[in-house]
Amino acid sequence: MNVDIYVNALGFCGPGVGSVDALSRAFAGENIDVPADWRPEPETLPRRQARRLSAATLTAMAAAEQVAGVLTSEAPWVFASSCGEGDTLNTILAALCQPEIMLQPVRFQNAVHNAAQGQFSIVAGSTGPATSIAAFDDSVAAGLLKCLMQMQIEQTVCGLVAFDEPLPPPLHERRPYDLTLAGALALSPQREEGSIARLSVSSGGDRPVTDPAALRGPSHILTSNNPVRFLLPVLAAVRGIWTEPVVLALPGGGTLAFRAEVL
Amino acid sequence: MTIQTASSSRDRIGITAMTGVSAVGRGRADHVEAMRDGRSGLTPCDFPNVDVECFIGRVAGIEDEAFPQGLAHYDNRANRLSLAALGADGFDETVREANSRWGASRIGTVIGTSTSGVERLETTYRAINGEGVLAPDYSIQHNNDHHAAAAFLVDHLGLRGPAYTISTACSSSAKAFIDAEQMIRAGLADAVLVGGVDSLCMTSIYGFEALELVSRAPCRPFDATRDGLSIGEAAGFALLERGADGPVLSGYGESSDATSMSTPPPDGAGAAAAMRRALARAGLEVNEVDFLKLHGTATPINDSAETAAVASVFGPGRPAASLKGMIGHTLGAAGAIEAVLSLYAMEEGLRPGSVGLCDKADDVGCDIQREAASTKLTHVLNNAFGFGGSNCSLILSAG
Repeated sequence: MNVDIYVNALGFCGPGVGSVDALSRAFAGENIDVPADWRPEPETLPRRQARRLSAATLTAMAAAEQVAGVLTSEAPWVFASSCGEGDTLNTILAALCQPEIMLQPVRFQNAVHNAAQGQFSIVAGSTGPATSIAAFDDSVAAGLLKCLMQMQIEQTVCGLVAFDEPLPPPLHERRPYDLTLAGALALSPQREEGSIARLSVSSGGDRPVTDPAALRGPSHILTSNNPVRFLLPVLAAVRGIWTEPVVLALPGGGTLAFRAEVL
Repeated sequence: MTIQTASSSRDRIGITAMTGVSAVGRGRADHVEAMRDGRSGLTPCDFPNVDVECFIGRVAGIEDEAFPQGLAHYDNRANRLSLAALGADGFDETVREANSRWGASRIGTVIGTSTSGVERLETTYRAINGEGVLAPDYSIQHNNDHHAAAAFLVDHLGLRGPAYTISTACSSSAKAFIDAEQMIRAGLADAVLVGGVDSLCMTSIYGFEALELVSRAPCRPFDATRDGLSIGEAAGFALLERGADGPVLSGYGESSDATSMSTPPPDGAGAAAAMRRALARAGLEVNEVDFLKLHGTATPINDSAETAAVASVFGPGRPAASLKGMIGHTLGAAGAIEAVLSLYAMEEGLRPGSVGLCDKADDVGCDIQREAASTKLTHVLNNAFGFGGSNCSLILSAG
């Protein structure tokens, strides 16, 4: 696969960093103040409704809504996450250990991997195809790959959201990473009036993979080990902060390389 | 949204092999016999640690079968289902032959699952009463992680093309077929192992029980007395290959309801949109589709909404049925195993009926078939819908 695609909008949500503008400032060296009670707050979600949703879902929605404005309501979306609703799953598993088992129905329906995608579609009125993808540490690459396939074959714009929330104990020690993070891109197969960057993408064999820690900037994010970290060089490249090609490992084998040209 | 029709495809992608395991058996012969005879595999729930009055579609014997020694870290019920499916009708050998023919890096893997190996994590949690440290031999990456279902197949079969998991609840493995097709058309692979797996587990049974969606009797899709689903387990796989003979995925359509996480709108508008998009992509008129394999979960609302959607798209007279009275609702595996059964039916000249249906409900506005019939099927629609308002329709066409 060798294809040029266009980026029409970027989104980001993480502790103390609520947008790609804030992330870019952090890449430029600005200190980040993380409030002790930080919690993602999607602007489009009623606060009462937000109380019932996980931090994973809220963070994904907060990133998604930053790019949704440039996509039609029928545009396809891809949500990529390694662990999805791990915190909700942990609560269910604990309940299944009780002598009398009672699960909360809302909790169960929000435990599915595509909970964030489903909740976002409801709030955004998004009626197009929506795919929820998992590929362990390569979930970002898998999500981008799905977007590329859709754009190439369907000639459609596409929204991508990558998100992950740390697992709680006792799961955390077996899959340790920190911070609840989400990044989003609105992508198009053609240059549009609002396009902010061209990405020349090539798939290929094994190549040295870009280490997100090589970026300067928010060390708490770059060293979090969160699978979303692999999206950071892509976001930085689109902003012109990272000027080298970005290489991501594809799950299963091979790589995807991105070279960005800021428009 | 622009829909590319089948006529614009640059290369034929054939389904060259398929396999499945469910409560009615393993491989083609068992499933064809069950469809022909209208045999149900649903039995009273005897799943360990579950105290819910219900029926389940349980695959017998997988607990006691050998598991590859070198892959013991992957040993969980879902992967055992996958292993059973791979072993039926020589499917695993067919994949290995394709691996040699195309080269490992040219075979992709797309698997749909809802719960992956969470059944083993449930056992692991119960061993420590939900507190403390997980057993040292427990690996998230190889068990309950969503991608573990695909990673096991990749490692077991030695595949090295792009591989990932789709997890959109009960539409997961129907959507996997779309990705498999796209992966080949995009030039990323020459063949793709596609399918889905989900095992019985406490999470699913108690979760659907909490939603008051589990029937106390074997499920009865589209029946006047239907009152909920019966949960099953299954694995279903197919091999798609570039330039090959065999049946094809001639069309697909997807949509999101954008109304509720777990309940479709009464008119099934999102489901109807998915079916219309599948028809448009296949370039078919409604009367060219010979059989509608519906999602048909047997919950009152789901069946009513789906048949309203079918009536709005197809009108009256298209034969339709649900397979869930036979194998149960196999959740993330449903799309794949039911697509495999549809392919078996097409190749055997068999139109399956709706096992469990006695008296069709008044709110069911389409032509649900109770009995199986011998007839030629050229184009078959496959519906699969899931939590999150996820709708997927596939059209499979004879080669």
